[in-house]
Amino acid sequence: MARVILVFNKKVIKEYPFGKDNMTIGRNEGNDIAIDNLAVSGLHARIDKTENTYILTDLQSTNGTFVNDKRITSHRLQHKDKIIVGKHLLFFALSKEEQAKVKETELDRTMILDTARQKDLLAKQAEKKGMEVPIKKEKIGVISFIDGSDQGEIQLTKKLTKIGKAETSEIRLGGLLMPPTAATISRRPNGYAITTTGGKTVKVNNQAIQESHFLKDFDTIEIGSYKFQFYTQESEDEK
Amino acid sequence: MKLTTAGLSDVGLKRGSNEDYFVMDTSTNLYIVADGMGGHLAGEIASKIAANTIQKNVNHWITKDSPEDELFDFPDSTLSRRGNYILSGIRLANRVVYEMSREHAEYKGMGTTIVVLAIMHSAVIAANVGDSRIYLIRGNMIEPLSKEHNMVTEQLEMGLISKEEAETSPLRHILTRSLGSSDTVDADIFEVEPMNNDCFLLCTDGLTDHVSDDEILRIIRNGDDPEHLCQQLVSEANERGGNDNITVSLIFVDRLDGERQGLLKRFWYFFKK
Repeated sequence: MARVILVFNKKVIKEYPFGKDNMTIGRNEGNDIAIDNLAVSGLHARIDKTENTYILTDLQSTNGTFVNDKRITSHRLQHKDKIIVGKHLLFFALSKEEQAKVKETELDRTMILDTARQKDLLAKQAEKKGMEVPIKKEKIGVISFIDGSDQGEIQLTKKLTKIGKAETSEIRLGGLLMPPTAATISRRPNGYAITTTGGKTVKVNNQAIQESHFLKDFDTIEIGSYKFQFYTQESEDEK
Repeated sequence: MKLTTAGLSDVGLKRGSNEDYFVMDTSTNLYIVADGMGGHLAGEIASKIAANTIQKNVNHWITKDSPEDELFDFPDSTLSRRGNYILSGIRLANRVVYEMSREHAEYKGMGTTIVVLAIMHSAVIAANVGDSRIYLIRGNMIEPLSKEHNMVTEQLEMGLISKEEAETSPLRHILTRSLGSSDTVDADIFEVEPMNNDCFLLCTDGLTDHVSDDEILRIIRNGDDPEHLCQQLVSEANERGGNDNITVSLIFVDRLDGERQGLLKRFWYFFKK
């Protein structure tokens, strides 16, 4: 069971075990922790217990509620927090079992690390292994026409690039038997993949592909009389 | 378009509450899974609010066919319009969860992972933040359509640890990104061409911590009823410890009904010009 220890002038006045769902702090006698001092408001603050969490809320008191020297409106209490109400000090202490529980759940739980601390941690680990921290650069795919078109090189900036006769295609190809969308190239977590969509044969390195195919640098792609090469280049932007 | 879908969320064997949440909206074919984190109840609230905010706003933009400049924050030019709806939905949800965590002490530090999948006959859009995942199962291949934002992935990419070390690393539950933990969020989004008989799986780490990609593939390929498959996946994770909440959402593409591109149509297209 958690406890609240009331201290005034460096002397312990009283210890309050946390036996219910909430405890109020204030000057009025009806409070669970009654402090007879004019610096304390009638109903000054309240601590609510929910499962293993204790929340301290200031009830719009005149002189405010402070935790570890900071003014708070509400605060999730941790073991050994110092609460100041007027001139009185209240120590918040969790029981041994509760402390152990907090530790256990914190270890197992998913946590988020902010960017600065992430970089710091990774840099330290790299240093230990005698490595330099690499600057990650995004790789971007490029289509370079070899035959059938004077479109030259086209960067695959879109997540999904459509290739075909339709006006909305990012890469437009003509021809009588060319479907509106003959193929698409998508940027996926594992790299660029080409997918045949229009029923027209799409060849990669002279082999007709079934459904989709992951592209490697310098793969040659053929659609009808069009022939182009795929490769990736480092983008200017840092990842 | 004809899809068969099922979703299931289970508390697992070790946790007292379920902080996962999922949405399956068959009216717009929008599917969301979220794994919340944060103290008492805050995790549950973060995942629910994030998923509902995304669903509500994306659907609103779809109905109104909103132009990209009316969305929340700047659009991303590498994405389709629908892709931008989802990106914008995630950014908006991030702001909502973040503001709530700042305003209320009991929500301090809350956040959530998110995976969003939208299926249209022209494209499938997959977006994520955190370590929940989206898989595409096509034929006998299983392929991720999400990126994991955790320390272990960063360490792997830098060559600091091996794949084996990664699986048991104490840092594997430390996220590098999450929805709601700062005022902006960076989501990874992918757009792919859907095909008949594609299967998509959205899931939280409660599944993937216990069941490998190959095992997931084997289970899904040995069945065809998504509801039964969801139960099978959840039981598999529970049999191996059930350390966390487990949520799975399966979508089978039975028929796409896209634009037909037969020979006749192509001739028609040619003569129209």
